[in-house]
Amino acid sequence: MKLIPSSLATRTALTMLGALMLVQAIGLTVHALDRVELQRLAQTRDIGVRAMGLYRSVVLTPSEQRVQVLQNLEHSDGTEVAISNAPPNDALPPTAFEVRRPIVLSTQFVPVPQADRQRELVMLGGPEARMLVIGMRMPDDRWLNMHLPMPPPRIWQSQHFIGAFLLMSLASALVTLWAVRRLTAPVRTLARAAEALGRDVNAPPLSEEGPSEITVAAIAFNTMAGRIRRFVQDRTFMLTAIGHDLRTPITRLKLRTEFIEDEDMRRKLLADIDELSAMVNATLAFGRDVAIEEPVGIVDLAELVRTVLDEESDWWPEVAEKLVFVGPAHFPYRGRPVALKRAVTNLVRNAVLYGGSAEATLSVEPNLVRLTVEDRGPGIPPDELERVFQPFYRMEASRNKETGGNGLGLPITRNIARAHGGDVVLSNRQGGGARATVTLPL
Amino acid sequence: METSQSLFGSPAPHILVVDDDRDIRDLLAKFLERHGLRVTAVRDAREARRALPHGHFQLIVLDVMMPGESGLDFARWLRSPASGHAQIGLIMLTAMGEETDRIIGLELGADDYLPKPFNPRELLARLRAVLRRAVEQPKMAGENHSRMLRFGGWTLEPARRRLLNPDDVEVPVTGGEYDLLIALVERANKVLTRDMLLDLLRGRQAGPFDRAIDVAISRLRRKLEDNGRQAQLIKTVRGGGYVLAAEVEKM
Repeated sequence: MKLIPSSLATRTALTMLGALMLVQAIGLTVHALDRVELQRLAQTRDIGVRAMGLYRSVVLTPSEQRVQVLQNLEHSDGTEVAISNAPPNDALPPTAFEVRRPIVLSTQFVPVPQADRQRELVMLGGPEARMLVIGMRMPDDRWLNMHLPMPPPRIWQSQHFIGAFLLMSLASALVTLWAVRRLTAPVRTLARAAEALGRDVNAPPLSEEGPSEITVAAIAFNTMAGRIRRFVQDRTFMLTAIGHDLRTPITRLKLRTEFIEDEDMRRKLLADIDELSAMVNATLAFGRDVAIEEPVGIVDLAELVRTVLDEESDWWPEVAEKLVFVGPAHFPYRGRPVALKRAVTNLVRNAVLYGGSAEATLSVEPNLVRLTVEDRGPGIPPDELERVFQPFYRMEASRNKETGGNGLGLPITRNIARAHGGDVVLSNRQGGGARATVTLPL
Repeated sequence: METSQSLFGSPAPHILVVDDDRDIRDLLAKFLERHGLRVTAVRDAREARRALPHGHFQLIVLDVMMPGESGLDFARWLRSPASGHAQIGLIMLTAMGEETDRIIGLELGADDYLPKPFNPRELLARLRAVLRRAVEQPKMAGENHSRMLRFGGWTLEPARRRLLNPDDVEVPVTGGEYDLLIALVERANKVLTRDMLLDLLRGRQAGPFDRAIDVAISRLRRKLEDNGRQAQLIKTVRGGGYVLAAEVEKM
């Protein structure tokens, strides 16, 4: 289990909650200390009244019965009362003035006839000693010595205390969570915007409103997105310009081949020019992101794959037998037909060029449709599986003239799949050969 | 490749080539003339307008990207009754991958289009197809270019070269299959001989042509869900030919 939570919101919430609980604890402690003061006051008053009460009971009793009375008094809390000829001699310091004063004051609440009042009052100990010793000289010069325990105040006894603490903690937790969620919301918005930008350069800009820090971040993000957009536009523009400029000379070249008498030479030349124009075409297609310009429509995906296989078998009659389709007869799918066809064509053509066969399987799953194109060729080295999706990257095996390729087929295919919210990955099938898997969301 | 002049009847059809590149104009003219056509080549829409009244042209090959008045504007003018030449065949040369140009061009009433750079022989094949169509079904003056052709529940959209099934789901077809189907649909209930169909596919398909026809027909039947043995839509005619047996509704 992780001790430190990963989310910024949780971390902030926990920190703030900790701090709030600390503050609460301090507040409650101050409150408790106040209570101690109060309890002390009540305690001293209580002790004064009790002591005087005892004195009164004893002094109003005839002398010979006093011992008897004392014995009859029961003291549950450890109070000891004795009649002696001497004042108390416990090894305790004299009682501090602040304690002594309220006790003396409270003794006056108990009415005792003037003649019977104590002649002398000795007080020892106090709260620190947990014991108060009071000696009172009676009119007959004998001493009534009382040992009265002073239990320490019980601060944490209140049942409200824990309840209050929990209630306050809960309330502050709720407020903290709400505040933190609000505070971290812009971070989530930023993350979402960055992800949307990754998928679509023309994603709408972030709202530049809210607290100043958020506004600054949003403006910075939008500026960055703008730069990326311009970069992509420049690239597209440049590629389109090159493509347009190349159109005319390529058209001329193609026309000129018609005036070459040597039929064999003419065919070869035309094949070269076709290759050249296919390269220009692919570069343009990559630059302009075909998938984005085309309107979305409903297309029979199963028939699309079969049509691609048909076209490829027309091109390469010698492998026509090895181009196989497995899947439903029809499958209507919402997408961009021309782009999708181009993507499938690229995969099937790769399979034919490098593997000499192509088995296309279309399967429909709960939330996605999966198209695999497999061949029985040599497959792809594991460390190249991802690299072949880089524009203009070509595997060693494809650099030679035999198979051609311009290093754009797979990048274009991936662009198209991703523009549909899906993806394409390559893997090696068991038993040899490569497998391209296209997934498209439903 | 030798083509007799008689294919187009006599005299040879007159083609107007409109392209701003001088070399392309000259080469195209030379190439088409070698294949039995008469060619006048001009450099822009203004010259084309000037040449039109004098040439008795059957077809215009028009580059979309031209300085001055664009090919699209010229096509729009040409197809308007005001031009007086609305019935002339029109093939547009569009920029590679410029979907919108192509669609607008075909919607404006171009009979066909080719992306530049094109293969000369493919242009020749398209040109022949358009010329033949013009001979077979002369356009009524001011007739609107149909945007959709409906037959037996299916729809063909010439502007976007696509086939829609009765549920409006696009059913992909190859270029050859489309050409074949549009030929059959435009001549519905008329028998098309294999020779005519062969001409349509020439320049598109590799491999032996006669087999290509049968293959393309069987694929079309599969796509139209037309059982090959008891085909209802594309019927085989004894003695070599096919016919589309359906009423075609132009929209």
